[in-house]
Formats: sequence, C-alpha cells, structure tokens
Amino acid sequence: MTARGRITDPLRAGGITLTVIAVLAVLGIWRTPYDPTAFAVRLRLAAPTLAHPFGTDEFGRDVLSRVLAGAHLSLAIGFGAMLVSLLLGVPLGLLAAFDRGWLGAAIMRAADLAISLPPILLGLLILAVTPPSLGKTILAVGLVYVPIMVRLARAVALGLLEEDFVQAARARGEGAVSILVREILPNAWPPIIVECGLRVTFAILLGASLSFLGLGPQPPSSEWGLMIAESRQFLDQAPWLALAPGLCLCALLVAVNATGEGLRARLDPSHG
Amino acid sequence: MGGYVVRRLLSVALVVFATSLLIFAIVHILPGNVAYAILGEYATPSAVATLQQRLGLDDPLWLQYWRWLHGVLRGDLGPSLVMDRPAGPLILEALGRSAILASIAFAIVAGGGIALGVHAATHQGRISDRVMTLAQFVFIAVPDFFWAILGVMAFAAGLDWLPATGYAPWGDGALAWASHLVLPVTVLSIGLLAHVSRLSRAAMLEALRSRYVLMARAKGMSERRVLWRHAAPNAMLPTITILAIDFGLLIGGVVVVETVFAYPGLGRLLVFAIEHRDLPLLQAGMLVLTTIYALANLAADIGYAVLNPRIRYGAAA
Amino acid sequence: MAEAGRSVEGGSVEGGSVEGLSVEGLSVGFAGVRGRVQALDGVDFAVPPGGTLGLVGESGSGKSTALLALLGLLGRAEVAARRMAFGGADLLTTAPALRGRQISAVFQDPASALNPALTVGLQVAEPLLVHARLPRAEAWAEAAALLAETGLPRPAALMECYPHQLSGGMKQRVAIAMALAGRPELLLLDEPTTALDVTVEAGILDLLDGLRARRGLSLLLVSHNLGIVDRLCDRVTVLYAGRVMETGPVREVLGRPRHPYSRGLLAALPRIGRRDGLAPIPGALPDMTRPDPGCNFRPRCPFAASACALPQALAPAGLDRTVRCHRAGELAHHRWPAPPPTPAAPPAGATLMATEGLARRFATMQAVDQVSLAVRRGEVLGLVGESGCGKTTLGRLMLRLAASDSGTLRFDGAMVPPAPSLAFRRRAQIVFQNPDTALNPRHTVATILRRPLDRFGLAGGNAADEIARLLALVRLPASYAGRYPHQLSGGEKQRVGIARALASRPDFIVCDEAVSALDASVQAAVLNLLAELRARLGLAMLFISHDIAVIAHLADRVAVMYGGQIMEEGPVASVLAPPHHPYTAALLSAVPEVGGRRARHVLPGDAGAVHGGRGCRFALRCPQRIGPLCTDADPPWRDAGPGHRIRCHIPIAPDRRVPR
Repeated sequence: MTARGRITDPLRAGGITLTVIAVLAVLGIWRTPYDPTAFAVRLRLAAPTLAHPFGTDEFGRDVLSRVLAGAHLSLAIGFGAMLVSLLLGVPLGLLAAFDRGWLGAAIMRAADLAISLPPILLGLLILAVTPPSLGKTILAVGLVYVPIMVRLARAVALGLLEEDFVQAARARGEGAVSILVREILPNAWPPIIVECGLRVTFAILLGASLSFLGLGPQPPSSEWGLMIAESRQFLDQAPWLALAPGLCLCALLVAVNATGEGLRARLDPSHG
Repeated sequence: MGGYVVRRLLSVALVVFATSLLIFAIVHILPGNVAYAILGEYATPSAVATLQQRLGLDDPLWLQYWRWLHGVLRGDLGPSLVMDRPAGPLILEALGRSAILASIAFAIVAGGGIALGVHAATHQGRISDRVMTLAQFVFIAVPDFFWAILGVMAFAAGLDWLPATGYAPWGDGALAWASHLVLPVTVLSIGLLAHVSRLSRAAMLEALRSRYVLMARAKGMSERRVLWRHAAPNAMLPTITILAIDFGLLIGGVVVVETVFAYPGLGRLLVFAIEHRDLPLLQAGMLVLTTIYALANLAADIGYAVLNPRIRYGAAA
Repeated sequence: MAEAGRSVEGGSVEGGSVEGLSVEGLSVGFAGVRGRVQALDGVDFAVPPGGTLGLVGESGSGKSTALLALLGLLGRAEVAARRMAFGGADLLTTAPALRGRQISAVFQDPASALNPALTVGLQVAEPLLVHARLPRAEAWAEAAALLAETGLPRPAALMECYPHQLSGGMKQRVAIAMALAGRPELLLLDEPTTALDVTVEAGILDLLDGLRARRGLSLLLVSHNLGIVDRLCDRVTVLYAGRVMETGPVREVLGRPRHPYSRGLLAALPRIGRRDGLAPIPGALPDMTRPDPGCNFRPRCPFAASACALPQALAPAGLDRTVRCHRAGELAHHRWPAPPPTPAAPPAGATLMATEGLARRFATMQAVDQVSLAVRRGEVLGLVGESGCGKTTLGRLMLRLAASDSGTLRFDGAMVPPAPSLAFRRRAQIVFQNPDTALNPRHTVATILRRPLDRFGLAGGNAADEIARLLALVRLPASYAGRYPHQLSGGEKQRVGIARALASRPDFIVCDEAVSALDASVQAAVLNLLAELRARLGLAMLFISHDIAVIAHLADRVAVMYGGQIMEEGPVASVLAPPHHPYTAALLSAVPEVGGRRARHVLPGDAGAVHGGRGCRFALRCPQRIGPLCTDADPPWRDAGPGHRIRCHIPIAPDRRVPR
C-alpha cells in the first residue's frame, strides 16, 4: 500500500516549503531587491513587470520587497504565539495534573473561563485597550491558546500518570520531579508537538486577521494582513496589491498546515 | 435531565459573570489610563478630567464595576461615547443584522459540513473523498478576509454581479437584501465548512470502524440502515462538540467579514468602537457576544446530553 | 496450495441438498504495511446441522478472520475458496443475504458490540422488524421473549435500557438474544466469553449449550481457550498461522493430540492439580507475508525433520480425524519434550509481609475490607478473585502504592509507614499485567533496568554487567539492552518487566495478573521463569490472578477474595479439595477445563455483586445460603485443616476436616 508514502508526503512537502519561506523571510529582514520603504512617485500602482514582479503600491514601493520584508512578521506571530501558549500552558497543565488540591482546581477553572470567550474576542479586547504592536499581537494570540494547551497537557499527563510504568517508578520511590522528567515528559511531547503544529496555522490566521483589522503591527510595516487591508482601496486598479501578500500568506498557511498534519500522521497514528 | 439543564444554566450565569469581570478588568486595569486611551495621548488635562468625571473613572474600581453590573442587570448597557447614545439599542440593532448573517452561515456550515463529511466517510478513498480532502486542506488554511477580497474582485469588481459592500434592509426588496448577503455568507462559511466536514468525516469514520457497526452488519442490516441508524447517532456526539467550537470561530469570522463588507452588524460595531476608542460600547458589545457564545455552548451541551444516553440516564444501573 | 486432503466432514456429500456449513480451501489475504499478509491459507472446516465446531488457535492464527470471511465482512481483503457454502448456498456470493438471518454472530467484547446510542429493545427487535417484517408490537413481544430465553430478568424493563446500564454478562446475553432474533440455523461465536468473569462465563456457556439443544442450532465457536471448546463443542479444528493443523472430535484431539502444535498447546496449559513444569512452545509466529511452502510450524517444532520443508497435506489419521503432519504417525509414541525441571523451592521461612485489617474505600465501593494476610519468606501466596473483588487494590496497598484508609502493614517485622522508606521500596517490587504499558516506550531496555540500579545504589562498579546479568536471569540475550519496548514481543516485554522488578534484589514481589495478557505458549514460559526465579532467589510473591489454574500451578498457598474480603485461605492442595467456601466451590466448578466435566452450579447475578454492610459479602449469590443469618451477621472464620480457614456460617462437619 502507498500509505507510508502518502503519510510522509505532506510533512516533507510542507517542511520544504516552510523552510524556503523561512529562509526568504529571514533574508528579507536585511536584504530585498529594493528598499521596501522607498517611495517612487512615478511608479505608483505600476502593474507587475520583470523589474517589479509583484508590481508597486500607491507610493510606488516595490511590492515584492515589501512582501519579503514583511514575511518574518507572520512567521513571528504564528510561532511566537505557539511558543507563548506552550511556555505558559504546558507548565500550568502539568501542575494541574500533579496537584490534586486547590491550585490544580484553580488552574482548571481559570482555563474553563478563558475558553468560554470566543477566540478572537480575547485578542480584540487586549489589543483594543493598549496601542497595538507586534509583541502585543503575539502575546494576545498566544494567550488565546493557553487554555487549550493547559487542558491538553493536563489530560496527557493524567493519562500517563495512570500507566503502569509510572506505577513502577513510584514503586521505586521516585519523587514527582523525577517522574515528570523521566517518565511523563518523554511521552507527553508527541501529542503536544502535534497540537503545536496544528495551532501554528490557527495562530497565523488569527494574527493576520487582527492585523487586517488594524490591531497588529502598524504602518509602514508590511505585515501581510495589514498589506491586504491597505490594498482594499485599490482593488479595481491594482489587484496585485492584495494578491501578492494574500497568495504568499496562503502558501505559508498551507505549508504550515501540511507540516502540522504530517507531524500528526507521523506521531499520532490513531488519527486518520 | 432537568437537573442537568439547571446546573448548566447556573454555570452559564457564572461564566457570564466571570467574563464580565474579566472584560472589565482588561479594560480598566491594563496599563494605560482609560481616559487617555479614549481621548488619545495628546489630550488636554482638562478634557481628561471632564471625561473621568463623566464616566466616574475617579471612583474606586469596585464601585465602577458595581455600577456597570447594576446597569447591565437592569438592561442598561451603558453609553456609547462617540455616538452619544445608549449602547443597548445600537447593539440590539446591529445584533439583529449579524444574526441573519451568522445563522444562514451556520446553517450552511452545520448542514453542509455534516453532509459532506458523511459523504466523504462513506466514499473513503474514492475520487470525491480525495478531492474533498485536498480542498479542505487548502480551504482551512486560507484566511476569510482573503476570501472576501477574492470574492469582491471576482464578483463585484470583475463581473459586477454582486454589490461589493453594504447592507440592504428587507424593505428594499428581497433581491437587494439577498444579493448583499451572498458574498459575506459565502466567505463566512467556506473555511468553517472545510473544518466541520473534515472533522465530521473523522467522527463518522470512527463510528464506522466500531464493533457495533460490525455487529449491525453481521445482523444483515442494509448499508443505509447501518449508516443512518447505527453509525450516525454516535458520530453526531463529537460533531456537536465541533459545531460548538466552530460557533466561536464563526463569531471571529463575523467581525472580520462585516468589516470587509462594511456590513453594519455587531462585529463592525465592535471594530468601530475599537477604532474610535469607545470603550464603554466595546465593553457592552463584548459582554453581549460572550453571553451569546456561552448560550451556544449551553445549547451544544444540552444537545450532547439529549443524544447521549449515558448523560440522559446516568451511570450504570 | 497442495491437495488439501478430502473432507471427512459429515455435511459435505456430493450432489443433492448440501446441509450445514462447509468450507474448503479458504484463503484470505490482506494488504499490510510490509506487504501482503496471508491471514488464511487454504483452510478447510465444516459444521453439520446441529453440530458444534471449535476453531482454536493463539492470536494471529486467523480464527476470527475465518469467521468474518463467512459473514462476508472482511472489507477489502482478498477472499478466495474452492467452496464456502451454507445449506447449499455459496457464501462467497450470498453471505450478505444470509447474515443476520440463517447465520448470526456474537462477538467478543459485548461492551463495544452493542450500540451505545440505541435501546436494548430496538437492537434486539431490529432483525425481526427488518428481516421478518413483523409489526412493531409483535417484534417487541418476540424480542422480550428472546431476552427472557437468554435468562435475563424483567425483559420488559430491560427493553427500555441502554447498554451502559447493563453489566458485562447481561450485555453478552443481550447480544445472544440479538443474534437469535434473526432466527438463525448457524451461530458464529467469536470468543464469546473472553471478556467475562469465569462464573459469568459458565452461565453463558450453559445458555449456549441449552440453546443449541433446544433450537437445534449449529455452533461455530472461535476461541483461544481449549477448556471452553471442550465444554461446548463436538469437533475441533486447530489453526496455526492461517493453516489447519488438525481436525477431529474434541475428546480425541484434546485428549490425544496428534499434531505437534496441538500437543504443544496442551503441554503448555496449566491445569488445576497439575504441578509439573509447563512445556512452552519456543519461538514466535512466522512471517505471514511470506508463507512457508512447507510446514509453517517447522521452526518451532521439536520434531522437525528435513521432509518438513515439503508441503504438508491434511491427511486422515484415525477415525474421523485429519492431521497436517507427515510425522504424526511415527511421533504418536514420542513425548513432547519436558521442560528442564524447576529447582525445588526452599521451605518458606518466617513471616515477611503481613497486613492487619487493611481497608480502602473508593467512592461507594469498599474495594478492600479489613484484610489480614501474611506472606512468608520464599513463599508464593496466590490471590484469586473475579474482576472488582479488590485484588489489584490489595496488591497496591501492600506496596504502599495506594493509600490505605485503615489497617497496618508489617514488613520483615517492622511497621511500614504510609510514606515508606527507600529500603522498603528496594525490597518490595511489582510486576504488571499489561506488558504494553508496563515499560516506558521512550526508554531502552538498558535505561529501564539501569534506573532501579542507580536509584538504590546497586550499580556498583559496572552497571552494564549488572544489566547483562538481569537479562540473563530472565533468559533474554544481552543484546536486547539496546532495544526499545516496541521492538520486543509481548512475552519479552514481560520478561523485561520481571527483570526490572528483580533489579533491586527484592525479597517480595507483587505479580498483578503477570501472565494474563499472554498467549498460552508464552504464558507457560513466563510461569516457568517465575517458578524458577522464586526457587533460585528465595523470593516471596503475592501472585494475583483471576485464573485459578495458573494460581494452582505456581502458588504454595491461596487466598480467595470476594467483595473486598478474603473468603478462604490455605495451602493450595487443601483449598482445591473440599471442604470449600461456597464461592471457592463455584469458582472451581466454573473453570472450563480440558477433559473435565464436573458438576457445576452456576451462580446467579453478576461477578462481584456484593452484599454491602453487614453479613457475608457473597450472600446474595451464594447457592448454599442458609437463611437471614448470612445477610445479617458477619460470618466467622472456621478452621478447615492445617493452615486452612474458611469464612462462612456453614459449619464444617468434623468428618470433612480429615486430611484428604
């Protein structure tokens, strides 16, 4: 059967695409074909040409250069938010699994509460009150996913605590830290990594939506969601303004999604 | 069952109360002076003082919260600073328009998603399943605002079949009303449709792999009966949970889609409140949306209980 | 496939109306990850009308696959047969029309075979509504009558229940009623009692036997348990790795097996009263993606010869029997090689582990209820009981892995506090039931064994040497140190689990169902290993099992547990012989044993049903209850011989106390 080939394909294809995008994004911080902030009045809203493959915007800025210069922002929001939820959520979840007293209960009630807000609202609320910036977008998107991580980490740890090999460790008189480090963590990471892989897609989506609403990095930044928002006035005259960052964003999201799904197929065979 | 519903209702009340605290806390405790947030960084001290007095911002926080909560409980959601009107009627009017958008989209997502999911599960590995799997994969990953842009480009700017933005009340005629809804509803549904169909396919496949389905087949039941009578009721349980999650995503989508299409609903109102720093309006709108979401989750929980005899009839006798 | 021998079954006569089930040359292939798996390779068997055939074999033999093939429910597998017919109809083409009608099935785990979302009534009445097209009221009445026929109380009320409201035994009776609703002539049974307790199993077997007699049903029973097959079937077919090894009348095949594999299976079987070493079958199942053209049991067969590489045919061997082994005739007088003798265990010493009034409650259930037990140095105490009796909890309490509500624990004369010292942890260890969850899948065998060495400071100069010694102790090659658990077979994992427990050089081990998840041939090897280790190392053990035959084989003394309490305790030989506690008697009579058809008294109610509060916990199910005394007053301990006591209100007559 081709099952094996099919399962590994999205992981490889997604991983390669993602790596290429990441390399371009990092390069784009320092080097782009043109200065992404340089105005060129005579070249306003120029259609794509060989010299400007993605055309120029209303200030005559090279869209390709702007897309490249903004690429790292989407990646930063996606992976940064995932890291935030990971670093906050996993320790809290593990604590809730190990502590059967008031602390564990309090953590879980707080997670229940946070999860009862629709995802985008929490982000909107946080970003509405304080001036938006990249860091705050990352934090807001990350916080949205913290309760999901808390629940997942707790459920995984609770399941593992019931396993016989943990009982065997207790029969050796191992302490909580040793059980956590030697027995729980080595087995807990696959489902957590899988969840992270899937979360990055949603984090990039949510981050781009917030930017699109003006609650992310501010102009003259070339964050892709923001670029698409700014392009709306010129849809008739210069569709490339929307298409260039939009298609790049889609490519990134499909690549991340493929990688996440590929990881899941690899690490969690119980899901088709 | 009755006791269960009462317990869940109480927990909804608790959640709404707690989120009201959370919303209030984020608005008032996050670094930054509320009055400056509203008036901008360069406001004159006297303007700040006037606003603070008007909003009661000099009072202790608990008193401010109590005043707000007290008002909410009497049906007074507070003022909208920018429009200088009570927020309640504003929100109600916008909510009605959002409800039209959201309920049509949700019906499409729930009905279409489940139908597609079941179809894919029963045609696993065939062409239609593979095509759908690929489509789901891509559609989940495309942001709804980009769908909106593409839709406007193609059908409004390009073909000029549909209005690009705006809203027509029912009074303008059914065609105008509907034509303004086509693009927003499509954009709102498309990503969620992919999500729901994908997960309901998984739920259906799991039910079809179960021993009780094998048993039903061994009893000589037709595939049709196996599918609808034996597998579907069990696959519905996880699907309900999925729909509840997607309702939350739908709320997010509504905010974005209404903004893109300048559709005067609650999402647009919230973004307006943010853009114009109308914090009392924002606070009120958030509370209303959270309550709706909590009620939707309650509906999902009750639906789950109705379909699940383990909850309906308690544990083993 | 070579010529598969002629069928000797009564049903398959040429021409005319062919009755019963007849299968010839059935082959099933699956697409697997590592290539095409030949799950069945030219299998022949037959069930005449009213007859019962047992299809036996260990996991991987293909017995369940055969059953699904008959029903036409193998999905995308390739199914081919020279002949697969029932009542003259070709099953390869008509199985969908026959299943649920002439042919019904009952599957293994009743908990997952019943639909959790539908009422019992609907599930039982469904075939009547759909196949017989009865009006609803009639279908309902007949379904209720079927529930009554399967021995379920209050069928009308039961019709409205959902499966989760029933116990395991009740669910299996519902499943049987459901199968009967199709008005079948042939009932296919796939491990119908494997998930059930032995006293419940006895009731189900009686029910099936009665149905067969009353309704003239044919039965095809798929099971790994030779005792059940012996109890229920006239004929038996032994499968190994997709091929029939031997077919014949049950008494003949299980009494005087001719094929080396059947002989090995029986030699590995622990039986009540059998104390000699069990003879395990060495090796493991062959690679099913590359079927051996010769005898596929050859690599594990102690009698293998060069001619075994040639294709083997099923050949007649005596009256009504066929055997697939060219040496069957000449081997008839060769004994199956005996295992190396187990060294004699040194006599038990002073009391090592003693509990006094140990108790633990979970929510509404008193899992362990005032248990006082002692294990002496070098002694194996068997703890037997059915699911939910509290035996696992008792084992955990004795290791302080679960907290006790009251009672005390003494180890080597000293009190063990709730948080015991490291020294106690070193000396008291545990072996688990499920080899798949007992080992951390992310650690190598070396890491798993090294941890206790480090933890208790036993590594000394060279941990690698100590790990090699431990592996040698459990008869695993030293090269296994670098392997991960998923690279080991079930039996090998269990050996590593034993080695881990032994790493700290303990004096006392709790073995919690340590061989229950293993196939018969592997189980024998692990049991032998435990017997040998206990003799060589002078280990004391609490050996917990639901299988009284396994306990009878290994233990010196037995404690019988019911409803959280010890009901009877004494030396193995005394407990297995009368006088018995009524529960012990029921347990012993319920065990389906090869060659033994003892009088049985089937217990009413569910395994583990407990009379709470005062009185005897077993009173509600006791066939010998003498009156209100049993439910009102706690029964006294009665002396039933040296070291043998019974907790029961029924006095032990003086003449019965005489040593047997």
